[in-house]
Amino acid sequence: MSTAPYCITGEGLAKKFGRNTLFKGISLSVATGESLSITGPNGSGKSTLMKILAGIQQPTAGKINLISGVSIERVQWLSRIGYTGPLVNPYDELTGWENITFASRLADAGERAGRLMEAFGLDLHRDKKVKYYSSGMKQRLKLILAVLNDPPVLMLDEAGTNLDAAGAATLHSYLESVRKEKIIIIATNDPQEEQLCGRTITLG
Amino acid sequence: MGNDVLRNLRKDFLVEFRSRFALNVSASFAAIVTIAISLTAGGVPFSPKVQAIVLWIVIFFSAMNGLSHIFVREEDQGTALFLRTAVNVDSVFVSKFIFNQAFMAVILAVVTPLYLFFLQVQVLHVAHFIFSVAAGGVSIAAATTILAAMVAKAGGKGSLFTIISFPILLPVLWISISSTSAALNAPSPTGGNLLFLLAFSGFISVISFLLFRFVWLED
Repeated sequence: MSTAPYCITGEGLAKKFGRNTLFKGISLSVATGESLSITGPNGSGKSTLMKILAGIQQPTAGKINLISGVSIERVQWLSRIGYTGPLVNPYDELTGWENITFASRLADAGERAGRLMEAFGLDLHRDKKVKYYSSGMKQRLKLILAVLNDPPVLMLDEAGTNLDAAGAATLHSYLESVRKEKIIIIATNDPQEEQLCGRTITLG
Repeated sequence: MGNDVLRNLRKDFLVEFRSRFALNVSASFAAIVTIAISLTAGGVPFSPKVQAIVLWIVIFFSAMNGLSHIFVREEDQGTALFLRTAVNVDSVFVSKFIFNQAFMAVILAVVTPLYLFFLQVQVLHVAHFIFSVAAGGVSIAAATTILAAMVAKAGGKGSLFTIISFPILLPVLWISISSTSAALNAPSPTGGNLLFLLAFSGFISVISFLLFRFVWLED
């Protein structure tokens, strides 16, 4: 799935909640092999812009497209985007492995998931229910779920939250290894994560 | 789509089996109300019409306690967005629809025998009675699946679900009561009411399937 070139374009994006304008006039274009970080203070609209780019929310004004040869219908976007954020939670009643099995779409997902769990240090906790995971372990699982199906687009909102140094290093090395073959968009206030990306949009 | 439906169904049954929240609440409500009615009635026999009305009131409120849970749980526990990223929109609807039908079948399997036993109801036409209860249950579960999604999106809880479901389910309850009452004592009940319930289920299921993406995908 991740070999065909993709491009996300946004023109004049704006978002209002009531009379409060969160942001306006944002235009961008990110293609396969490029990465973008979105930074800004709390409440500046980073997560909202990420949701708009992922097709989860509609902008108040402006146009957004996901193109791979042709424009892709919005309902199909999430099958091509690996998205994680503070509001994307795995099922607490299921084990880490059951969550992964649930999210798997690829034929070789089991083998790939096993490798990812090992890389992110969760292989010894795969049969534990998620409700017994620590915050850092949950965050690692969320990252595995986002990259599990090898999506051509990765959108990571506050991906480094709750990660220890080893977890953050694993994340950074993973992003470094796939940056040439994917679109990577990160919402972050971590300067190290910002440096991983070629370009930065600052909100607020 | 079939694979997505199966994955989501398996996940929903697993989560419900481990928490048993909706099933416990609905089954407890059904048992308590049925026993309370039989005790307060004190052995006074109800007419077949009243028996049918009370049966459907118990079924309706037992179901309302649990049918919305399938979507409300996703929003409450913050898993709705994960579900959106993992399963396509049509498969979400189909799997939740099937889950609600299965849930309703369990509710009917708990409520109906309890009710017949504790209120000592005599059924004249057993097959017609079974079909009436089953068709009414299918209609309730069919109509409430998309309503549950709407209530969950609105951040609503059980009471809102019951209130917005009532006007849509009113014809279902009315016809189900008629059909059940006929099964209890009519000389030869006809299948017109059953046909209405099945047609209603089919119609509301198709409309819900077509509209579901607008409920599910818009924030």
